[in-house]
Amino acid sequence: MPLLTDLARLTQAERGDLPTSPARSQGRRRWRRALGVVVPLLLLGAWAMVSGLGWISPGLLPAPWTVTDAGRDFFFGERRTTLAGVVAFDGAGWGHVGASIFRCLVSFALAVVVGISVGLALGLSRWVADLFDPVINALRAVPLYAWLPISLIWFGIGEGAARALIFIGALWPVLIATADSVSRVPRGYIETARMLGTPRHRLWRRVYVPSALPEIVTGLRLSLTLAWMCVIVGELTGTSTGVGAMMNAARETGRIDEIVVGMFVFAVVGYLADLVLRGLTRRWVSWADT
Amino acid sequence: MSTLRAVQISKSFGAVAVLDRIDLTVQPGETYALLGPSGCGKSTLLRVMAGFEPADEGRVELAGRVVTRPSPERGMVAQAGTLFPWLPLRDNLAFGPREAGRSDVDEVVAELLQATGLADFADALPRQLSGGMQQRAAIAQVLANGPPVLLLDEPFGALDAQTRLRMHEWLRSVLAARETTTLLVTHDVDEALLLADRLGLLSARPARVVEEIPVPFGGARGRHTLSDPAFVRMKAQILDRVLVA
Repeated sequence: MPLLTDLARLTQAERGDLPTSPARSQGRRRWRRALGVVVPLLLLGAWAMVSGLGWISPGLLPAPWTVTDAGRDFFFGERRTTLAGVVAFDGAGWGHVGASIFRCLVSFALAVVVGISVGLALGLSRWVADLFDPVINALRAVPLYAWLPISLIWFGIGEGAARALIFIGALWPVLIATADSVSRVPRGYIETARMLGTPRHRLWRRVYVPSALPEIVTGLRLSLTLAWMCVIVGELTGTSTGVGAMMNAARETGRIDEIVVGMFVFAVVGYLADLVLRGLTRRWVSWADT
Repeated sequence: MSTLRAVQISKSFGAVAVLDRIDLTVQPGETYALLGPSGCGKSTLLRVMAGFEPADEGRVELAGRVVTRPSPERGMVAQAGTLFPWLPLRDNLAFGPREAGRSDVDEVVAELLQATGLADFADALPRQLSGGMQQRAAIAQVLANGPPVLLLDEPFGALDAQTRLRMHEWLRSVLAARETTTLLVTHDVDEALLLADRLGLLSARPARVVEEIPVPFGGARGRHTLSDPAFVRMKAQILDRVLVA
């Protein structure tokens, strides 16, 4: 078996040329991630210092401990009955967060379905791209607040307008990322697939989508972040639940500590949502890691 | 086994004529190497033969049939490799057989992993393989469909000299075992003489086949052949002709 012996020797020699071990780079990555808590801790310390020393008025920025108390009341305080249309605060935290997350996910899911479908059509067909590119690029330049009046007229005050605004905000990143990445799939992949027997109508599933997935996932992450950011705009349209509605009510009553609690909730939930999405999509995009 | 023919193929890109009435025939089971100066149109000819580029004039025939589109019966491997980076090696090798709806995909993949010495790397992604491994895998991916014709466009051009020589020995044994009709494009005279049964010399652009030369070194070629005085002599003669062309 001289051929197989030679081959074994060749493969053995080639092992020396293999890229660096993933274990080493993984350890380094974990260490770098730990660095990410340093800046928040420093900012928290600075905030506590300027509040403790009275360098900033509590009317402009309440102390961290005041915000902590408000946060505790928000999530664990005694729930009080409120009149219809009045936004509750004490003990209403989980309900508000749940309502905002639900609202965000429904609109995000719709934006993903529409964004990926339209993006694929734009990326796969030059004809479709030429036809719709100007309209899409013009529409995505319209600021979200400019959609607010028309959303209220079309969908009414409350839930419908909120979901429409979140949908519009989340749509563009995933749509543009899909269209752009699909249109730039290297020709070599398409040719190889055609040569290996993939019919044209199956290319999108076998080549275009897998090849474009890393950029589509980046678009998904941006869309999710934007959807979450748009929740507050959506909840300004007259919803009585949601973190944005709570913050709007706090603004009217001048409760800046409650506003800051809302900001923290947005930041933490947004961060966690991105972590979850990254975790869910990691196996689709790990091949593109450098 | 199938005869591959290019009949009077011409191709231009705009005002630039690249191929000029090319005629060549690769006999069943033969390995035919096309040699020519850089930029003469060797790769364009191969892309036309694979069906990736249409010819302006002329036709490509496989076993007497005119062929125009890419197909699993003409597998092509380029210098840059053709593996899908998102698929593990096992799925890259299984790609063609799955498209064909074959029921013996696992057996085909296992045999090719063995033949390429990559059984230990079946679950590795292409980027986790060395350059030589990637090129062996790319050839195996194409062979998985059992194509009667293999088109190779400088498949080892990006590899270092030692790995390239080992790849030549490996490929020669694979082609001999499968009796695949092979058209190889290269600018490396050593590669052409180690792998081919016959050489075709191309002129400068627009390319024409100016000479066909049989390679007389028989079946068992490898590193020892490089120092054979007849090999050295023939290499020098061919280099002269390529440079003149």
